[in-house]
Amino acid sequence: MFQRLREWFRWLYRYRSIRLTSEGTRYVLLTLAVGVAAINTGNNLLYLLLAMLLSLIVMSGLLSEQSLKQLEFRRRMPDRVFANQPATISLSIANRKTRVPTFSLRIQDVVDGAAVDRGIHLLHAPPRSVTVQSYPILIAQRGLHRIEGIKLLTRFPFGLFLKAATLPIASEALVYPEIRPLPMSLVHDLTTRGHDQTVSRRGPGVALYNLRRYHAGDDSRAIHWKTTARQRRLMVRETEAEDQRRVALVLPTAVPEYARPAFEQAVSLTASLAAFFHQQGHAIRLLVGEQEIPAGTGEAHYDAILRALALCRPVAAASPVPAAMRALAGQTVPGEFTLIVLSWPDPAVISACRTAGRIIMATEHMTREA
Amino acid sequence: MNLDTAFRLSSILLAATGFSGLVLTGELPAGLALAGAAALAACLIHALGFGSEWGLFRLSQQTWTGFMIAAFLFMLADLFWLSGDLLPAGLHFLVVLMVQKLFTLRERKDFLHLYAISLMELLGAAALTLELWYAAVFAAYLLTAIWTLLLYHLRSEAEEARQTGAAASSSAQARQPGTITSRFFWSTNGIAIGALCLTLLIFIVMPRIGAGFFEKNRGELIRMSGFSEKVDLGMVGSVKLDNTVVMRVEFPDHKGPLAERAFFRGASYDVYDGRSWSNTLHYRQPLGRSLDGEFVVARDRLPAPSPGLRQDILVEALDTSVLFGVPFVESVKGAFSTVLVDGMGDVSLPYVPAARFQYSVRSIPARMSAGDRGGVLSEYPEPIRRRFTQLPAVDQRVSELARKIAPPAATPREAAVAVERYLRKNYQYSLDLGTVQAGNPVEEFLFVRKTGYCDHYATAMVVLLRTLGIPSRLAIGFAQGEWNDVGGYYTVRQRDAHAWVEVYFPNAGWVTFDPTPNIPLVLPHPLVVRAGRVLDSIRLKWDRFVIRYSFRDQVAMAEGVREQGEAMRTGTAARFVAFLRWSAGVRARIAHLGQSYGWLLPGGVIMLCALAGLGLFLRFYRCSWWKSHRTSGPTTQHMAALKIYNRMLQFLRSRGLNKSSNMTPLEFADKIAREWKEASQFVTPLTELYCRARFGQAPLSPDDLASARTWLAGLRTASR
Repeated sequence: MFQRLREWFRWLYRYRSIRLTSEGTRYVLLTLAVGVAAINTGNNLLYLLLAMLLSLIVMSGLLSEQSLKQLEFRRRMPDRVFANQPATISLSIANRKTRVPTFSLRIQDVVDGAAVDRGIHLLHAPPRSVTVQSYPILIAQRGLHRIEGIKLLTRFPFGLFLKAATLPIASEALVYPEIRPLPMSLVHDLTTRGHDQTVSRRGPGVALYNLRRYHAGDDSRAIHWKTTARQRRLMVRETEAEDQRRVALVLPTAVPEYARPAFEQAVSLTASLAAFFHQQGHAIRLLVGEQEIPAGTGEAHYDAILRALALCRPVAAASPVPAAMRALAGQTVPGEFTLIVLSWPDPAVISACRTAGRIIMATEHMTREA
Repeated sequence: MNLDTAFRLSSILLAATGFSGLVLTGELPAGLALAGAAALAACLIHALGFGSEWGLFRLSQQTWTGFMIAAFLFMLADLFWLSGDLLPAGLHFLVVLMVQKLFTLRERKDFLHLYAISLMELLGAAALTLELWYAAVFAAYLLTAIWTLLLYHLRSEAEEARQTGAAASSSAQARQPGTITSRFFWSTNGIAIGALCLTLLIFIVMPRIGAGFFEKNRGELIRMSGFSEKVDLGMVGSVKLDNTVVMRVEFPDHKGPLAERAFFRGASYDVYDGRSWSNTLHYRQPLGRSLDGEFVVARDRLPAPSPGLRQDILVEALDTSVLFGVPFVESVKGAFSTVLVDGMGDVSLPYVPAARFQYSVRSIPARMSAGDRGGVLSEYPEPIRRRFTQLPAVDQRVSELARKIAPPAATPREAAVAVERYLRKNYQYSLDLGTVQAGNPVEEFLFVRKTGYCDHYATAMVVLLRTLGIPSRLAIGFAQGEWNDVGGYYTVRQRDAHAWVEVYFPNAGWVTFDPTPNIPLVLPHPLVVRAGRVLDSIRLKWDRFVIRYSFRDQVAMAEGVREQGEAMRTGTAARFVAFLRWSAGVRARIAHLGQSYGWLLPGGVIMLCALAGLGLFLRFYRCSWWKSHRTSGPTTQHMAALKIYNRMLQFLRSRGLNKSSNMTPLEFADKIAREWKEASQFVTPLTELYCRARFGQAPLSPDDLASARTWLAGLRTASR
């Protein structure tokens, strides 16, 4: 019976908890002392004082509950969150009460069932008002990061009790792999290799390909005015076709157990390479395990690559080399160069992709100093 | 007022309230009270901002420690030699602690110590007094405590937020309340009122399990004249100008004041020696107790057929054990274990109560029968005649006067009435008797001065009646006092002390006669009188419902609630039975109609009921649907955004750019962009913000509103 009652209470207060603060403990002890004095003496004025002390406890419970009521929270996660890079979350707190303000609210995120203090301290939220608080977060692991809820803590109104309420307001953020600066030697190598393998061709793009005389029918927006002024004839600017600057990033996911930490480094290196080539304006093709993302450019494509890298998981080392990787050598487009990022010296991949492109060992490049 | 100043001010006021409670008990030595008051005043002035920095006396920690050791040693001396009691010594030390704490208020714990000291002071005051002023001090303390605790908490939170560095950034408005706004002021006072109501509720329902084992009354008793075995003539006159309340009397069976003047008899005397009265039948014996807890006074006459006059009497702490009551007391009920009665029929307690107490009395006034009206002296029992006709040596003139007043053929009753009337008519009431009389006071009153007060009138009447051989005695107590129409009771004061005469008649027993003429009292302004009555009524209620509130009252209240619940239950059951009968009748009627018209009519009735039910269901459903689908009202930020947009439209109108009714806000913004490019940089974002708030119901932050105001200000400076 008692067990059932206790379970029922636990269920009833699953979103609420209350505990005494140090001031509250002293207050309760003082109340007990006054109670003993009142019973001993039978003095009604002492009973009156005891009633006052008890009423403050009751008022404390009522007001703290009132303070926690009718609050609306909206959490806005940043568009891109990278592992081990600070990101800013904004939390909008709306007090929907028409007359009663909310005071002294500490707000914590609930992650994996535990409250995480982000240092959010809302001292005053007037009635019918919205307050926006932003706070930094730093997530160490790539992948799906889920904030399960919000935990509200208040010691309002008298600081005697710490009342906590948990609200199931969930948010999810896909944490992209950590982007680290590439070693200078690798950057230099990649830059020269890229130039070697690039077959320049005019076409739509951003980089300058050529300046030539204006012909009828040319887009007037392409006129290069400085050169026109210098040469005193209309000159137009031709751009280099971007689809010519292509790179294929390959990340095998078959990893033995001992090389799992290195796999994370490989993922991070692949993401860093993707970020580098994205900045350079390359079309990037990605092969992660069996998943292939065709070559493409732009922010949406970059996000797709990062998403794939954020969610990829290592598989057992005995897994066969995916067909897309085996076919790399035969499928290489002219002008495209391939980088195979290995977390361990996988003989199967090395033999399959030796001729397809350059093999980079993640453990050689991805150190903190790099 | 900013939060910090308000916090410091309320902290000092809290300490001041606790301290004032202690001062009002009158137990604090004047020097200590002055020192405490001075410290509080200094800190209060400082808290209001008339000082350079917090912490008036920059004494070193060692100095303060030395000071406290000295104060503690003084407390020990106080405990063992000066006061000789723990409570006063402890309270004196508490005041010293308060002064020390007031001058060293720096950290949070110092403030907490000050609050604890103030609560101790209030507790000390509760142990030392029962007076009404405590209610005012208590209410003030509760109000100040709510303010102080609330401000203490907000200040602590703000400090903690500062110390933790506030990792989160927020709009400035939300950081802290900053100043005491009117909303905050009234909310806090509302909380205090709520707490007060809750306190009273808890006070009422909290079970009283205290038996007062360790209660020690420290109040002083009101000194009374008379009511001892022997009293001097003139003892009543000494208190005739004293307004101290001695008791309050309610007559539960009478709504208004009594038709006849009532006397509250305390004691009576049989022997007069020419200067003082004494009671020779002072041997007291305990009264028997009836089944319902009443102490019944055994009388030597038949019980009266009437229920008698009931009185509820609340007596202040007097220095007498006498129980007062309208003559003649038949029974007494109260929280006593024993009630005594002496040979004169005077009722008393075996001890002098140390505090105010309440009891109920039932009295049967003596009524003369027809036999008494025409009775003769020979009918008196011998013991009565012997005891109550005793006289010291009196002048011949007294006997002559008695015979002159009462003709020889007069019956005892006629003689008593004649003497009473003679004294009332021919003598003047005066409290100013000049120097102490050297001769016989009665003869001096009757033949020389012819002025006096109730003692002289009553003694003179007894002497005159005894001269005529009529048994009589002197009774003292209080006249009925002043009727309080606010509370519905009589307030009896020291000045209402009175002496009168009781004359014995063979059938009726003792009958009251009052030879003292009625003297109209000189009352202050009616408003003052009214205010006094209201205050006294409150004082009585305070005493009845707070000080004397007991477990018995709680039981009575629970009984009342139970009875009301019972009545409600019975009423509901009766109504339900009536409804069942009505529905049975309706069913029978429908059955009858069914037999007469087939099932067409009953079917129609059932159909109508079903339709009515469906209508009601739809109505409620729509109501709930409307409630669930209505949009929440605009927030203050939304209202502010709308206002700013309207101001923008007004300004643009003044510049000749009107927004037609068929134009959307964005179209109007485009129009502005075309026609007044400089204004576009302000109008476009402002319009977007307006659309976001007005149509998107998006939350607006204070920063958004600040931007909107900036855009509006920028628009006003744009040239066209």
